[in-house]
Amino acid sequence: MLKKAKPGHWRYLALAPLLLLLNGCAKHSAWWIFNPQGVGAKASYDYMMIDVVVMLSIVGITALLIVWFMWKYHKGKNRGSYDGKWEHSNKLEVAFWGIPIAAVAFLSWAVAVHGSFAVNPYNPTVITQHMKPKGDPIDIDVIATDWQWLFIYPQFHNMAVANELVVPAHTPVFFKLTSTAVTTDFFVPQLVGMIDVMPGMRTKDALESSHLGTYQGIAADYCGAGMSWMLFKTHVVSMADFQHWAKGVESSPNTMDYAQFNRFAEPYINVHNKTPVYGHVEKGLFNHLLLEVMNGKKWPLPMFMTENMFHYLKLQAAEHRA
Amino acid sequence: MLVNLPGPWSPLLGRLALSEIPYTNPILAPLFVIIVLAGIALVVGITYYGKWGYLWKEWFTTVDHKKLGIMYIILGLIMLFRGFIDGLMMRTQQMLAVGSGHNGMPLMGAIHGYLAPFHFGQIYSAHGLIMILLAATPLLVGIMNIIVPLQIGARDMAYPYLNALGLWITAAAVFLIMISLFVGDFSHNGWFGYAPIFELAYSPGVGVDYWIWTLELVALGTTLGSINFLATVVKMRAPGVTWTRLPVFTWTAVSANIIALTSFPCLQVALALVGADRYLGTHFFTAGFGGNLMLYTNLFWLWGHPEVYFVILPAFGMISEVIPTFSEKPIFGYITMVLASFAIAGVSWIVWLHHFFTMGMGPYVSTEFSVATMLVGIPTGVKVFNWTFTMYRGRLTFSSAMIWSIGALFLLLIGGLTGMMLSIPAINYMVHNSVFVVAHFHMMLLCIVYAVFSAIIFWFPKVFGFKLNEAWGKIMFWLFSAGTFLVFFPMFMLGFMGETRRLDWPFNLQWAPWFDIQEVGIAVYVLSVLAFLWLIYVSIRDRAENRVGADAWGTSRSLEWITDSPVPFYNFAMVPHVNHRDEAAWRREHGFSDKRPEKFAAIHMPNNTPVAIVIGALTFVIGFGLTWRIWWLTVAALVLTVLVMIYRSGKGDPGYIITAEEMEKMDRESRQKMDDGHAPLPKGGGYTGGTVTAYSAEVGDPGSQSTPPGNSRPLS
Ligand code: HEM
Ligand SMILES: [Cu+2]
Ligand SMILES: [Cu+2]
Repeated sequence: MLKKAKPGHWRYLALAPLLLLLNGCAKHSAWWIFNPQGVGAKASYDYMMIDVVVMLSIVGITALLIVWFMWKYHKGKNRGSYDGKWEHSNKLEVAFWGIPIAAVAFLSWAVAVHGSFAVNPYNPTVITQHMKPKGDPIDIDVIATDWQWLFIYPQFHNMAVANELVVPAHTPVFFKLTSTAVTTDFFVPQLVGMIDVMPGMRTKDALESSHLGTYQGIAADYCGAGMSWMLFKTHVVSMADFQHWAKGVESSPNTMDYAQFNRFAEPYINVHNKTPVYGHVEKGLFNHLLLEVMNGKKWPLPMFMTENMFHYLKLQAAEHRA
Repeated sequence: MLVNLPGPWSPLLGRLALSEIPYTNPILAPLFVIIVLAGIALVVGITYYGKWGYLWKEWFTTVDHKKLGIMYIILGLIMLFRGFIDGLMMRTQQMLAVGSGHNGMPLMGAIHGYLAPFHFGQIYSAHGLIMILLAATPLLVGIMNIIVPLQIGARDMAYPYLNALGLWITAAAVFLIMISLFVGDFSHNGWFGYAPIFELAYSPGVGVDYWIWTLELVALGTTLGSINFLATVVKMRAPGVTWTRLPVFTWTAVSANIIALTSFPCLQVALALVGADRYLGTHFFTAGFGGNLMLYTNLFWLWGHPEVYFVILPAFGMISEVIPTFSEKPIFGYITMVLASFAIAGVSWIVWLHHFFTMGMGPYVSTEFSVATMLVGIPTGVKVFNWTFTMYRGRLTFSSAMIWSIGALFLLLIGGLTGMMLSIPAINYMVHNSVFVVAHFHMMLLCIVYAVFSAIIFWFPKVFGFKLNEAWGKIMFWLFSAGTFLVFFPMFMLGFMGETRRLDWPFNLQWAPWFDIQEVGIAVYVLSVLAFLWLIYVSIRDRAENRVGADAWGTSRSLEWITDSPVPFYNFAMVPHVNHRDEAAWRREHGFSDKRPEKFAAIHMPNNTPVAIVIGALTFVIGFGLTWRIWWLTVAALVLTVLVMIYRSGKGDPGYIITAEEMEKMDRESRQKMDDGHAPLPKGGGYTGGTVTAYSAEVGDPGSQSTPPGNSRPLS
């Protein structure tokens, strides 16, 4: 039964080792964490490599020791000498405590302390340190609903895009984030790490991209049945292209006031990957939403909403939201 | 009703209605039929063979720590299997669903794969809760239950009745989560729950309520157990068992149960507050009205992190017993081993924030918790080094118990390495909530599972008097390990490819090959399950050939190996007098392993009681009533529970006396049974004379004399 519904991707199985190699060099790498395209993600990657090298040297040597002892002291093989009373050695025990202490001390200083400041989502020094005075940063207000993203550009006529993010390359982008109903995470693996997006609260994040391209954005924390579809493509474009794109969006006749937002925020699974644009959203929508949620505003979920997805999609169509 | 319930409610049935039973679901309905049929067959079988009396007398009402331990282990193994089936379903879903093609299954209401989000969410939530709290925990508690009293020379736990109560309350939790399969639905919000999605507005069904009460019940059972373990080790040690002579396993049991006793109440409070939000309409964890949803996350992990060490520490203890036995050497660095256990237990309290670095608490707080988390790596590393150097200059026998333990070491190394990556915020931001984390903690939890299998094989002969089949133990090990590698190596890779966790539709087709490899791994795991069943079967079939003496492995070390196998219900005919940390090894080396008590004394044993199972059943009813908001049922069960408790407290248990003559007779019989076995009893040889106290002279309170008398002999 399961077999029949299967698309024929078993054939990829044979390609697995090949893919491994190919992906390493391909531009659109599948190894998102190993191919950072943003300043923050790159810093994280570097710290990861330091950590792995330090830890792997200890763990690897220990693993080899275990294997070696297994070989050497195998009973009956007479490769090593037996000493059934040997159970203590001051020198060794000092080393056993000393080695991990030294490693942890080094990692604490070199990676934990430095890294926490370097990619601190609220003020990542890797980005803010070298901020060029002329390259003005872009602000984006991010609102997560059940289960869509709304990206508002306050500096651009309060225009907004849903489920798609466009940013200029090599330019710091500062996010303010909140959510309507439940908690999730904002995450673009190749550009910027995760930050919680919480209802009734405002968090911050920042990214600066280093390469043009399109990168996958993900709602990374479980936020309900529509999470898997709560995706957004992040387009990193040149400043000129960005300006051009913004002009186009700003002139869109489609706008959103608070009442319309209320409707937009109702539970909606973005199966059809819709990315509507809004030339203008109501001023102060972000703060208004924060206050409303703090005062108890909710967007409740219906019971059994996704028990049958086909049924749900029919409802969606009937409500003209498909 | 204090809150606005979505959906109907009636005074008689609460939220329960026929429509809550998923009889149209093509998976659950047949499963239900099968389980009902199997249940009927079981009942008919037991009745036919007239075994109800036996079950009731010997098992359901028992307070014997070994039988309770066995039942804990059986419960744990059953739930391990249930959890595995959940895992199989999740892996199959992701393999079928991956990519953007139209690959759904209309019959199941899924547009990708065969599980709609509604079902997928319940499965991973149940999987996590079951594996950590209803599989790993009962397995570990069961083994501690059996072994800790034996290792300290006690006749039972300090509170035998409390021990039974802990088991039956845990069983009630198991029944509650199992019934959620067929009546209503389970929570979608992961094993740890997220605020505020578990609030009534965003989780309107009964799933979260099942989750709350299941957790509350296991938490209660485990807390009761931890009190018992601590009291037992503190008060019940046989003469000569000083603190420095406690075996490492018992030490880890102590440290683990200190964690449990101090942390589980935290979980209970957190969940009670969630319950208050859902039942009373309070706003502890809501987004609005002054609630603080981050508080929940803190409270949960304030328990959650210590909990993961509660489960790993006894596993470390098991490894610490198995490796020395099969290396024919004492554990290397006993003192640091014990210190490391307590260091881990202590530090586990100050690291909880690493589960949510992404909440944005600022670099100073993040750094503090990052460094604290890495501190855990230090004692963990020390332990691994000590095990490694226990093998150094040893004589290693790669019995099946030993290879499971060595397997656990390698998993621990990988889990530790990845844990040290996750504990750094800069790295954590990239892999938090991804399957990389899932792979990390599965390495750690599988380390526990390996240690548990090792321990089961190791101590099985002590409890049942015969060894498990070595060859099938090894076959199962290699199958299980192949499964582990095939499932979790791809999972690490998927983490580096950016796959986040809990996706019922993995959108990226590039992940597909790895899902396929994982599915192969699942198939291999299935084979290992079959190998396990076969292992049990052949072992029981050939039990006559595999009978063992007291010292089942011939190289055993701690006190439990000086008493008969199978352990008689009174554990030790005479309370032993302990002369050395590795008492069995010491007696063997000094040539009086087969020394029996010269005279016997009357002993005092606790009576069986049906009260524990009755209270267990009532707590299940309370949980069920609360979940479905059937108030009359809840209140009735609650009142009954209190009445039963009052009744029991008034009656108490005077216990019963076995006279010295009876003891002598039973001891002779137990010994004969063992001598009939084919395994040679280790015979004394090198005993060079001098005074040795092998058994305590007085009956009295065995714990009253906890320092060694002057005439005990130090190991030369
Ligand atoms: C060297 C020791 C360890 C370190 C440094 C460590 C570190 C971490 C960190 C930082 C996380 C959070 C990851 C995240 O969500 O972003 C984590 C998650 C986790 N760890 Fe460990 N860990 C260690 C040992 C263990 C052990 C012994 C266990 C027990 C079995 C364990 C079980 C878990 C579990 C269950 C989770 C994830 C829970 C969840 O999100 O569902 N870890 N670990
Ligand atoms: Cu799992
Ligand atoms: Cu933790």
